[in-house]
Amino acid sequence: MESGSIGAAMEKSLFKFVWKYSKRQQITIVLITTLSFPILYTTLELPKRIINEAIGGTQFPRNFLGMELDQIPFLLALCFAFLGLVVLNNVVKFCLNTYKGLTGERMLRRIRYQLFERVLRFRLAHFGKISAGEIISMITAEVQPLGGFIADAIATPAFQGGTLLVYLTFIFVQDPLLGAAAVALYPIQGYIIPRLQRRVNQLGKERVRNLRQLSDRVGESISGIREIHANDTTAYHMADVSDRLQTNFEIRFEIFKRKYAIKFLNNFLNQLTPFFFYSIGGYLVIQGNISFGALVAVLAAYKDLAGPWKELLAYYQMLADTIVKYDAVIEQFDASDIFPVERLDDPGDIDLSGADSIALQNVSYVGEGAGQNLDGIAATIPIPGTTAVIGGEGSGRPQLMQILAGLLAPSSGRAQIGDQATDTLPDSVLGRKLAYLDSSPHIFTGTIRNNLTYGLYHRPLPLLDGEEIDDALLQRRLTEAQLTGARGYEINLRWEDIDAAGVESLEALDERMIELVSGVGLGDDIYRMGLQSTVEGHTDSELSERILGARAAIRERVLSEPEFGEYVHLWTPDSFNRSASVIENIVYGLPVDPAVTPHDMAAMPEIKDVIRENGLHDDLVGIGRSIAETMVELFADVSDENELLSTYSFIPKDEISDYDALLNRTKNKSELTDDEAAKLIGLAFMLVPTRHRLGLSTEDFQEKVVAARAPMRERLDKDAPDAFEHFQADKIVPSLSIEDNLLFGRPRLDRPKAREAIERFIGQIVDEMSLREVIMRAGLEFEVGIAGSRLSTGQKQRIALVRAILRRPDIILLDGLVTGAPGDDPVLRFIKQVAPDSTVVCGMANADSAETFDYIIALQNGGLVAAGTYDSVQASLTPLRQAAE
Amino acid sequence: MSIDQEVEALQRVPMLRGIEKGKLRLLAFISERMVYGPGETLCKQGDIGDSAFIVLDGEADIVVDTDTGPKTVAVVGTNDIVGEIAILCDVPRTASVIAKTEVHTLTISKDQFLKMMSEFPEMTIEIMRVLAARLERTTRDLADVRGELARATANG
Repeated sequence: MESGSIGAAMEKSLFKFVWKYSKRQQITIVLITTLSFPILYTTLELPKRIINEAIGGTQFPRNFLGMELDQIPFLLALCFAFLGLVVLNNVVKFCLNTYKGLTGERMLRRIRYQLFERVLRFRLAHFGKISAGEIISMITAEVQPLGGFIADAIATPAFQGGTLLVYLTFIFVQDPLLGAAAVALYPIQGYIIPRLQRRVNQLGKERVRNLRQLSDRVGESISGIREIHANDTTAYHMADVSDRLQTNFEIRFEIFKRKYAIKFLNNFLNQLTPFFFYSIGGYLVIQGNISFGALVAVLAAYKDLAGPWKELLAYYQMLADTIVKYDAVIEQFDASDIFPVERLDDPGDIDLSGADSIALQNVSYVGEGAGQNLDGIAATIPIPGTTAVIGGEGSGRPQLMQILAGLLAPSSGRAQIGDQATDTLPDSVLGRKLAYLDSSPHIFTGTIRNNLTYGLYHRPLPLLDGEEIDDALLQRRLTEAQLTGARGYEINLRWEDIDAAGVESLEALDERMIELVSGVGLGDDIYRMGLQSTVEGHTDSELSERILGARAAIRERVLSEPEFGEYVHLWTPDSFNRSASVIENIVYGLPVDPAVTPHDMAAMPEIKDVIRENGLHDDLVGIGRSIAETMVELFADVSDENELLSTYSFIPKDEISDYDALLNRTKNKSELTDDEAAKLIGLAFMLVPTRHRLGLSTEDFQEKVVAARAPMRERLDKDAPDAFEHFQADKIVPSLSIEDNLLFGRPRLDRPKAREAIERFIGQIVDEMSLREVIMRAGLEFEVGIAGSRLSTGQKQRIALVRAILRRPDIILLDGLVTGAPGDDPVLRFIKQVAPDSTVVCGMANADSAETFDYIIALQNGGLVAAGTYDSVQASLTPLRQAAE
Repeated sequence: MSIDQEVEALQRVPMLRGIEKGKLRLLAFISERMVYGPGETLCKQGDIGDSAFIVLDGEADIVVDTDTGPKTVAVVGTNDIVGEIAILCDVPRTASVIAKTEVHTLTISKDQFLKMMSEFPEMTIEIMRVLAARLERTTRDLADVRGELARATANG
C-alpha cells in the first residue's frame, strides 16, 4: 500500500513524489491509453472501408465476421460497427479522464495534507520566519496546478514521445537521408529551447516569491487594519501592494514574451525542415535517387511529426513550471529542525504521576531577539506546590515558561518532569497533563462552548448513544483518507472527551462548564449572552417549554404588581401596544426576514388588501401624510452629515425632496395612486406612539388596528404563510431573543430605566423558576466572532482558563496572568477552588507577593538571580524589587 | 399630550425663548418623554449630568444634601426647566430632583442638544445671548454685594 506516508519526509523531487505515491495509477493510465490506441485506429480505418468496400464495392455478398452479407446489410453492419466503436472510444476516454482526475486530486490532497502536517510540526520559532499569508498561499494556491499535471506526468511523454518515435522510424525506413534531414534541427532545438526555458523558470520562481509576498502583505494589512487607519497609512499600503502588483506584472509579461519566443522559434525550426525536404528531396527526385512517392510519403509523415512535437514542447514547459512551483513550496516546508512525528502521534501513555519535581538543569536558550535569552538556569520546582517565576521585561521569563511547557526546546541543558525532558514529550502528554496559558490566549472562531470544550478535542471517539453517523459515508471518508496518506481522524465523530473532563455525560459536562464559568466570574456575562441569544437552533423543547412557563409567570406578575407592570407594555391580542410600531401592531408579529422594511410590507398585496377591507387605509394615509409633513418641516434644512437626520428622521435625506414633491402633488387629490399611498403608509407603519408623540395614533385608530389583526392573520396564513412570525402567548417567536420571548412585550419607552428594571425583574423570575442554568446553556452557544473578536480580553483570558481547567491538568503554567498572592489573586483563588491538587507555576513581573509561594525562581536579564524557598532567596530579591521600582 | 404641547412648554423656557418654533419642534421631536412616579429620582446630586428636564406636568422637589441630611430647597412645576447647565457643560449635578407627584418630563439629552447647536449656529447665538445676559446680571449682583461688603468692613 502506498499510503504509508504519515510523518514521512517531503520528497525533494516532483518525479520522486509522483512515482512514490502514484506508480500504480501511472502504470494504469499508460496501459489504458495503450489499449485505446487500436480502438482509435479502427475508428479511423472503418470509414475508409465503408466508402471503398461497402459503398463503392462491387463484389457481394461479402464476409463480415463469418457472415455472408449483401451490399446494404454489409453497409449497415459496418456503420453500426463504426457507431459502436465511436461509443466505445468515448467511454474509454471518459474512464481514462476520470481516472486521471481521480489520481491528480488524490495526489493534490496528499501533498496538501503533508504540508499542513508539516505546519503542525514546525517549531514555534519557525513561525517568526514564515508568515501565515505565505503558508496559506502555498497550501492553497501554489500546489493547485500539481493536481492537473500529475495525471499526465508520465502518460503524455510516453505517448507523444512514442508517437514521435514511430513517425521518425517510418521516415528513416523510407529514406535514411531524409530521416536525417527531418531530425537535423532537433539538436539545435534541444540546445536552444532549454536555455530559453531556464530563464523562464527563474522568472517563475520570482513570480512565486512575489505572490507570496503579496499574500503576506494583504494578510498583514488585515491584521494591522487598526494601525493603518489610526496612522493614516492607507496610501502607503496601497503603494506597497501596487508595487508588488507592478513587479508581478513585469515578471508575468517577461514570462509571456519568452514563452511565446520559444513557441515562435520552435515553429520556425519546424517549418525550416520542409525547406530541406523540398530543396534536397526535390533535387534527389530529379536526380532519380529516390522516388516521387517516397518524398510525398515522407512529407506527410513529417507533417504528422509536428503534432506530438508541439505536445511534447507544451509538456516540457508545463513540467518546468510545475517543478519550479513544487521546489519552491518544498524548500519552505523542508525545515530541517522540526518536531518528530511522534510528537503528534504518540498515544501519550507516559506516566508523570510519580514525578515530584520539574528540574531545570543548566537550561540555556538563545532567542531570536534581544531579551529572550536564558543562561544556565538551574532550579527544582516542587510538585505539588505553587511556584513563582519572577522576572520583568527582558528577563527571559516567557521563554522559561514555554520551556517548562515543552513548547520551546532549550538550546542546551534540560528541563525535566520526573525523568522526562519536557521538549521531547509528545503533545498527548503536554496538552493533557500540563496546561500553559499566557495573557493573550487564542480564541477560536465558533461558540463559547466550542472554546471551552476545545481542550478535550484530543482524538476522535465513538459516538454516544443517540448520536448517529452514516456508516457507509464514514467508511468512504476513512478509506479515502487512508488512500491519500491521511490519519483516520474523522471530524464527524465525537471529539468532546468527557472522560478527560472527569464527567459521565454531556449533560454533566454542561453543568461542569457552567460551574467553572460562574466560578471564574463569567457567569453574569454568559447569562446575559443567553438572554440575548435566540431560541432558534436550540431545538431542545425543554428550553422552549420552560421559557413559555416563565413567560406566563412574568405576565401574571406584570398584571398584578404595578411596580413591574409600569415598565412593560405586554403583547395582548386585544389591545394596542403603544411601545411598538403600527405595523407590528397590525400584523401582531414580525417578518421572518429581518431585512424586510415597513415600506416593503406596505407594498405587499395581502397587507394592502386587509388594510382596505378593515377601513384602515385612509387613516394610515392620513398618518403617513402627517408624518411626511412633519419630517419635511423638521429636517428639510438639517445638513446631510448631521446624525440627527439619520437617527431621528423617518425619511432618509435623499428622499425628503421626493416626499415634499409627493405632498405638493397630492395636496388636493382625494384618491392617491397605489404607489403614492404605499409610500405614505410605509411611514405610518413605522410610527411608535410612545416614542414619536406626534399625536397621530388616536383611540379610534388603535381600535381599528386591533380589530384588523384577526383578518390579517387569516389572510397572511393563507397567502404568505412563511413571511411572518405571529405573536402567540403559548408559542416561542424564533427570531426574538430569549429575553424578548420571556417578556413577551416591549419595555415602555416613556419610563426612565425601563430596560434595567425589566432586566432585574426577569432576573428575579428566572431565579425563582431556576431557569438561570438553562439560559446560561443557551449563552454558551454565543458565537464569539473571528478569533473571539466579540469578546473582551478579560473574557478571552477567563475562557482560556476554564478551557485549561476543564481537562484537569496536573501542572498549570500561567504566564503574566497572576499578579497577586494566592489568597487575593482571583485566578489563583479560582484554581485553588476548582483544582486544589494541581501544581501551579506563575510567571509574574514583580516580587511583591513572593513570600506566599512555596518556591521562587527569580530571573534578571536571562540569568538566574536566585531559586529556592522564600526564606532562602529573600535577600537576593531586593535588587529585583528595586529594579521594578 | 403631543409634540405641540411640548413645543409650547419649550417656548416658555427662558433659555430657549428667542429660538424659532420650527427648531423647537425639532428639539421636542428628538427629546424623550418620560413619566416618573412619586418619589422617583430624576437625577442625583453629584452625578455627571447628561440631560435637562422640562416639567410638562406634576411637581418635583429640588433636594440638596446638607450636613443635617437632605433638604428640599425648592419645588419645580409645570413648564420649569431643571438641570439645563448639564447640557451645556460637564458639571456634577448640584442638587437631586425627586418627583413629588407623578411627573411628566421632556428629557433633552446633551448629545442631541449639542448636535442641534452645531447644526443651527443661530440657535447657539440666541442661547449665548441669554447666557451672557444672565452672566451680566450675576456680575452686577456680585459687584453690588462686594461693594456692600467693603462698606460694611470699612464701617466695621
